[in-house]
Amino acid sequence: MTSKLKKILVLGVVTAGLFPAMTVFGGSNPVHYLKAGLSEEPKTLNIWLASDRWSLSVLSQIYQGLITRHPETLELTPWLAEDLPVYDPETLSYTVTLRDAKWSDGSPLTAQDVAFTANLIKEFKIPRHFDRWSFVKAIEVLDPKTVRFVLETPMAIFLSRTLATPIVSKKEWEPVAQNARNAEKPLTALINHEIKTPVGNGPFSVKEWKEGAYLFMTRNPHFFGSGQKIGGRVMGPFIDGIIFKFFGTSDAAILSLKKGDIDMFWWSVQAGYIEDLQKDPKITLFKNERSAMYYMGFNLRKPPFDDAVLRRAVAILIDKGFIVTRILQGDGARMDSVVPAGNKFYYCPPDTVWGEGLSRQERVKAAWWLLKEAGYSWKTPPVNDAGAVVKGRHIRLPDGTPMEGFTILTPPADYDPLRAMSGTIIQEWLREFGMPASAKPMAFGSLIDQVKVRREFDAFILAYGKLSLDPDWIRSFFHSRHDKVRGLNMSGYHNPEFDRISDESATVMDENQRRERVCRMQKILMRDLPYIPLYTPKMIEAVRNDRFSGWVNTLEGIGNPWSFCVLKPEAP
Amino acid sequence: MELWRYARQRLFQIGIIFFVILTILFILFRIAPGDPVSRMIGPEMTTEDAAHLISQLGLDRPLWVQYVYYVKNFFSGNFGHSFHYGRPVIEVIGDRLPNTMLLFTTSVMISALMGVFLGKIAAWRKGEKTDTVMTLLALVTHTVFLPWMALILIWIFGYRLGWFPINGMISEEVWLNPTSGFFAKSVDVAHHMILPLLTLSLIYFGSYLLIMRSAMLETLKEDYILTARAKGLTEKVIRNKHASPNAALPVVTSVGLSLAFSINGGALTETVFSWPGIGRELVFSVSNNDYPLAQAAFLLISAVVLVSNLVVDILYAYLDPRIRY
Amino acid sequence: MPSRKKKILEERSRRWRRMERWAQGWAIYKKNFLGRIGLVLLSIFVLMALASFIPPLVDPMYKPMSGVDPEITASTGPSFRHWLGTDFMGRDLFSQLLAGARVAFTVGIASAFVSIVLGTLIGMTAGYMGGWTDTLLMRTADIIMVMPTLLVVLILAALFGQLNIWSIVLIIALFRWPGVSRVIRAQTLTLKERPFIDAARVAGASHLRILFRHIMPNVLPLSFLYMTFRVTAAINIEAALAFLGFGDPGTVSWGMMLQWVWKTGYMFKAPYWLLPPGICISLITLSFYLLGRAMDEVLDPRLRKEGERY
Repeated sequence: MTSKLKKILVLGVVTAGLFPAMTVFGGSNPVHYLKAGLSEEPKTLNIWLASDRWSLSVLSQIYQGLITRHPETLELTPWLAEDLPVYDPETLSYTVTLRDAKWSDGSPLTAQDVAFTANLIKEFKIPRHFDRWSFVKAIEVLDPKTVRFVLETPMAIFLSRTLATPIVSKKEWEPVAQNARNAEKPLTALINHEIKTPVGNGPFSVKEWKEGAYLFMTRNPHFFGSGQKIGGRVMGPFIDGIIFKFFGTSDAAILSLKKGDIDMFWWSVQAGYIEDLQKDPKITLFKNERSAMYYMGFNLRKPPFDDAVLRRAVAILIDKGFIVTRILQGDGARMDSVVPAGNKFYYCPPDTVWGEGLSRQERVKAAWWLLKEAGYSWKTPPVNDAGAVVKGRHIRLPDGTPMEGFTILTPPADYDPLRAMSGTIIQEWLREFGMPASAKPMAFGSLIDQVKVRREFDAFILAYGKLSLDPDWIRSFFHSRHDKVRGLNMSGYHNPEFDRISDESATVMDENQRRERVCRMQKILMRDLPYIPLYTPKMIEAVRNDRFSGWVNTLEGIGNPWSFCVLKPEAP
Repeated sequence: MELWRYARQRLFQIGIIFFVILTILFILFRIAPGDPVSRMIGPEMTTEDAAHLISQLGLDRPLWVQYVYYVKNFFSGNFGHSFHYGRPVIEVIGDRLPNTMLLFTTSVMISALMGVFLGKIAAWRKGEKTDTVMTLLALVTHTVFLPWMALILIWIFGYRLGWFPINGMISEEVWLNPTSGFFAKSVDVAHHMILPLLTLSLIYFGSYLLIMRSAMLETLKEDYILTARAKGLTEKVIRNKHASPNAALPVVTSVGLSLAFSINGGALTETVFSWPGIGRELVFSVSNNDYPLAQAAFLLISAVVLVSNLVVDILYAYLDPRIRY
Repeated sequence: MPSRKKKILEERSRRWRRMERWAQGWAIYKKNFLGRIGLVLLSIFVLMALASFIPPLVDPMYKPMSGVDPEITASTGPSFRHWLGTDFMGRDLFSQLLAGARVAFTVGIASAFVSIVLGTLIGMTAGYMGGWTDTLLMRTADIIMVMPTLLVVLILAALFGQLNIWSIVLIIALFRWPGVSRVIRAQTLTLKERPFIDAARVAGASHLRILFRHIMPNVLPLSFLYMTFRVTAAINIEAALAFLGFGDPGTVSWGMMLQWVWKTGYMFKAPYWLLPPGICISLITLSFYLLGRAMDEVLDPRLRKEGERY
């Protein structure tokens, strides 16, 4: 028996030795598939459910909106629409004409589809989208290529936000919607509809999704942009497809990039790899500015973080400068308001920057003083009788009960080591102060579930990327109306004053008046601190330069539809 | 016949052990802080589905009824829905289990064979340089920290030399190519398996080597070896035909006893190499609070350990002519 | 009066015998080359653990978790200021490594101690009492023995949230006693038949007295031997847990260091960061293992086969 097994073993070793010599199959075909590495698998291809980055990365190839932003000028550019909408101030309506477009199954894309999508969002009050459509009174199909939107009130965000909504196929979704209407909870039924190969209108469509390994997309032969000149660029796509590979760990993805197994690393490169990648002549690194907010959020619905004083103390203890210089290695900027400072028009410096310019010791003292005044006590206070900073232990709430251990949820280190590390360091600062904090990295999809759906959490570190220049999102993030399951107000922040001002801000059409409201909103938020804004990082992406070229740099990096539409294979 | 009875008896014992584990897990899931219902019902579920699942899992019933449901559901493979994947846990586990079994059985076999083979040589050359080197090698590889070893192998073979893939178990080039048949696909999987397999085998062959060596030394003192020598048989025949089959028996036992240990190592290896197995899934589900998946993965891993134990025990009884139960 | 004197004498001679036994043991141990290596290695680690208190006193930047070099904001190689270099935030790797030794010893010894105490008590009781107590205890041991400890800790981490270092220690201990208790039980069974136990029983000694006065001294060396193996298991499990990201987030252990270098992307670039913690975990395991093997030889060699099986 032993000898037989031995033979098998020997055979195995021999075959194993042959592998390095083997070449990859199918190298002779002149097809060009871009291979992109993602760190996690998309959770869903149902556009109405998707909220994690991986799903949205894939879906951004499939569903397109009427309008987009030009990569360089950031100006509004017609996309599915033939031209920018015509505004009629009399009737408060916008008229949009569509390009000649088809769905990936070959059927024509008409104004009916646009109206259907809008009505679907309005009818089901689909989270993340409904807010952009709630003020649209009517959607009228004038002819198969023209659609008119009638607004209740003038809305600043209609063009840039509402018209960027991805359009879905009526043919595909009408039966789904019909089923959902009959369900007990229509919205839940709609977003839980499973969809594996969506019918889309973007440059690529899903061919095969082998779960756990890859997702294969091929060029959509019916893409409306093909051969057109949009935004000064002739659209392709000039590549035959995209293969998304899922990596559990980033070391593997970086190695694959270096070896040429993937052409693009579609998430921010970890600091440790940058030097090595810079030396590689076949690899190009792109650093782009981001319109993003990385922040620490709290659960205001329960103790201990229902107390604004405690949140302020935490803000004092967090040294943002430390995070930017050490954890981000300088590739980013600290944030002291919810609006990134790069947004010059709408950014307002807050009245007080918590803990500005303080040393660690001074921070501890300031936070200790603040909490002591508010009735907090310690078994061992972080500042002793002699006024020296010591390790604090066992903080007690004003009512005398010990603070229970709480967790700071962060994305996993593979997805974003910077946030995971920030979590650890913040935990350490809080622990030195006597607060029982633990940082816990968690996969992105699960983290979102925990925070948005189950709403069982204490604090978390998350980020918003691709924030539009128009800051209407502040209203979405903090208005009490959005404090609901899957809502954007994840902290559960309720402030009537803020609600009022923010509602006002949405309808004020005069820019300066609007700015004044937005400023007041920022100031209120920096006083109440439902979120502590931490930093805006740079986007650092890496691609191979020997197989494809033509990446389009824009705010938020190269992973944008423009890139995928104009990317060309390198001549061999 | 004797063997058959023994097997039945062991099977019965293992059944009881499994029931105890099942029960402990049930209790743990109920006494842990938080709401047991929300622990089993995913957040992305529709109310109807959730209600359906609650009644299927009996979560709306008294505790003992819940237990009955729980046991029944286990045997019908109903573990609820994974929070993260949003599909039935049994499907997820069903996808991953074969991958784990492949890696696990191959690595146990390779390390045991390597251990037996080298242990035999070491014992035969007791006191010589070969013996010292091998014993030392065994001690060192046996005590090396597994994940670190995996990282070092990645560094050497993946990064420096670039010989082997370090991630997953298939490459899309092969699987998307319509011309690649079963053979090409198997070769692809084997190629991906080399590094994880190397990690596990290196870690585990050491202890088998040491056991084989000492068992062999004991055996060589036995009368029948002396008899064989007296008969004038060659050393090689004595070593391979007389001594080693008997000496290999303790190795078989220790394979059985170290199974739980190997499963630990398997989970670590799967995680480092992103091998889509059940151990990695357990680690992943734990970090994601995906309770139904964690529960099912744990139970299935326990079942695998128990069944492998049974197989090893029976194998032992079968191989050792002296033992009759 | 004479009986008391006799007792004292007896006691004295017993003590003498015990010392003699240790001396003999040491003589045998000394001959074992690998055992000596194990001891040397172990002493180095003990020194490291003790030295771990020094760096933070020298300068606050040497605090293993939260101290950073004010001038260094990237991962740098070994230098005079940082003997092993720094991690990417500018924390000193050498002081982290020293702190790791302390954590390893704490975890290893604490959990091994608890599991040995449990295992010895249970094994003795089972062996001495026999009957259904024995069956019950040993079946429990069987069940626990087949459970993969690391995965058990993982599932508990899922249910009870982030575990701190002491709960990890306790869980490891609770799942690592069966091997010991089996051996102790076997030993107790043979002891039970020895004449001196009978003598004690006839003299009217209680069960407890027999267990703790007569049996325990005879099984303790064996327990001690098993402790070395348990230490390695505990250190490895804690390290693996930290490596996977489920360790106590407030402690700097070697597993944690490995997790950091792996996840932040420095593992290909910073061997000065990747190598030391892994080597330390492996070597401390090896040293305890060598120690155990050498002690094994000192103790009754007949037990040896038994020993390797658990």
